[in-house]
Amino acid sequence: MAAYVRRAYSSFLTHVIDIPPRLLSLLFLSLLACIPVIVSPTALSIYFLGVLITANIMAIFASSWDLLVGRAGQISLGHALFFGIGAYASALVLRYAGLPLWVTIPIGVLVGTLAAVPVGFPCLRVKGPYLALVTMALPLIATGILYYYRDYTGGEQGLPVPRFFPFIQNLYHQRVAEYYLTLLALLISAIIIYKIVNSKTGIIFVSILDDEVGAKACGINVTKYKLLAFAISALFASLAGSLQAPLIYLASPASFSLNLSFYAIIITIFGGIGTIYGAIAASYIIYFLDQYILTIPQLEILGTKILPLPTVWHPLIFIVVVIIFVVKWPRGIARFVVEDGLTELSKEREIEERGKHIWKKYKKKKQEATESTAEG
Amino acid sequence: MSLGDNALVDILLLETLLLYGAITGAVYALLALGFTLIYGVAEVVNMAHGALFMLGAYMFFAFSLAPKNPPLGIASPFALEPGLALIAAMIFVGIVGSIIYVLVINPVIKDVLASIVVTVALAIVLQQAVYIEFGGTHRPVLPFVSGSTIILGVTMTYTKLLAFGTSLILFAIIALFMWKAKIGKAMRATAQDREAAMLMGVNTTRICMLTMFISASLAALAGILIAGSTAQPANPQMWLTPLSMSFAIVILGGLGSIKGTFIGAFVVGYAENAVALLIPGGSFLKGAVALATMVAVLLIRPKGLFGKRIELEE
Repeated sequence: MAAYVRRAYSSFLTHVIDIPPRLLSLLFLSLLACIPVIVSPTALSIYFLGVLITANIMAIFASSWDLLVGRAGQISLGHALFFGIGAYASALVLRYAGLPLWVTIPIGVLVGTLAAVPVGFPCLRVKGPYLALVTMALPLIATGILYYYRDYTGGEQGLPVPRFFPFIQNLYHQRVAEYYLTLLALLISAIIIYKIVNSKTGIIFVSILDDEVGAKACGINVTKYKLLAFAISALFASLAGSLQAPLIYLASPASFSLNLSFYAIIITIFGGIGTIYGAIAASYIIYFLDQYILTIPQLEILGTKILPLPTVWHPLIFIVVVIIFVVKWPRGIARFVVEDGLTELSKEREIEERGKHIWKKYKKKKQEATESTAEG
Repeated sequence: MSLGDNALVDILLLETLLLYGAITGAVYALLALGFTLIYGVAEVVNMAHGALFMLGAYMFFAFSLAPKNPPLGIASPFALEPGLALIAAMIFVGIVGSIIYVLVINPVIKDVLASIVVTVALAIVLQQAVYIEFGGTHRPVLPFVSGSTIILGVTMTYTKLLAFGTSLILFAIIALFMWKAKIGKAMRATAQDREAAMLMGVNTTRICMLTMFISASLAALAGILIAGSTAQPANPQMWLTPLSMSFAIVILGGLGSIKGTFIGAFVVGYAENAVALLIPGGSFLKGAVALATMVAVLLIRPKGLFGKRIELEE
């Protein structure tokens, strides 16, 4: 037992503490996990937790988009389709089959994942701008169908969904429980996505992104892997959708909206496309900026009020920032920090380690030499 | 509904469908022409096309005569006649389009995803800018001419006929311009091979900018015509429907093909009106049917009906 603990500790040291990006993400995770303990239960902190819960959900959604587009290269502009299918499938099962929430969410995720197959098939035949436009059309078609069958789906009103923890009376405690639930979901999905990205499958995804014909020539079944990318990505997107519905007490038609898809794209590009961590980090940064930097501080320059800005200006500012990022700095903020900043640190450490190793070898040789001369 | 009423509707149904489909098709052709031009010449999927459409309707509203918009309570500082306001709005939106092209689209022109993301972002920027300037309320764009006539037993407003005529004439002018004029030939050369056109002394950036100017002003005109002829109030979120319509049309016909756009526009126009007239409650399915037609066509022909590039069409 003690040996296992020691081994786990040493592998923690080598695999987490020694790699600066992982250490940073561990610190960030512990900070996030501590937030409900740090803040005092006031009305403002309930609001604050609500913002963080949205950021958690958007982080799952954006990282699933990043897996599909940044890694497998299948440009999707309508990722909200899966988000909406997840939300509506779980809400419809809950409404018409009367199953409890904990059963309907896996059903929603399953339906969303299976929906990736009929969606993926038309997308296999088209490429580039055609693919982008077809994927963008799909949630619009879904919205049309949703409004047409308004007797069952509630139309613009949406479907009411019960909250996660109706048995907790205190609103603050309810928020804390929801916060930990979403954080746990984010953690699990981030780890799974990270593992997939770094596995053989993930490498095949990148090969399809780089050169589809080349991948085909290497004997890779491109069709299978494209569908797989769609399915994995749809799984996490529909997880985000079915988790969000009980948080806002509603499966709303806004979950099919293009704004949602674009928001995921904005977050991912701001963080750095193709890096899963970038999407997650950027979702916190953007929500933090939106809610705190632009809303709460007071700032006056030359007698004109600069901050807080009216809320209509917020999207404008983000989007201008995103345009500047895409045009001038396409690698994204998180990638810049991790690849240019932290990786340098770890390299130095490696050199240091190697230096120590060489120094040991040198000492050993010297010792051997002195021993041999002493013998001689 | 009694049997007699049904019979009456049935008598006029075909004529209504015929006329309304033709008018919708013509205006959509104008709308999608800009989208297909900028794709054909610069290979940019311009997602901001719908936003330029919306901007056109708002600019017409801003430039047009103040007394024509009495319920709004604000006097336009320009107060131009409708015809002048139309031209002013078109030029304004065209200039906005060219500036957008030079500043934002040109640097990322090689990357499909980046150009799509940038133009989507621009659409939201324009939406927010209009929202900040004009507010989120619906602004009615009043028709230029009043009155109506009866064709084949169906009442037609003059604005609808005006929209139909203007669209067809402009479409013909642009198509002729592309085939005959020197600048049109330069555009086609750029579409065919950017580098080769550059070597032949064509300033490709300027040609793309000019294409964007034409494309944006066509979008603005379509915005004014649609907002005026259907008495649809202008609001900052109105860009999504025309955008999805124009890409349904353009993909149906083949991205970058003028002939395909013309045919695709009429297919979508008739499909949309048929769904709205024949299926009860079908107006919710209007957009969905157009887009589903597009997906179905793509399944059979992945490059659209006429997946040929501009330069090859003579």
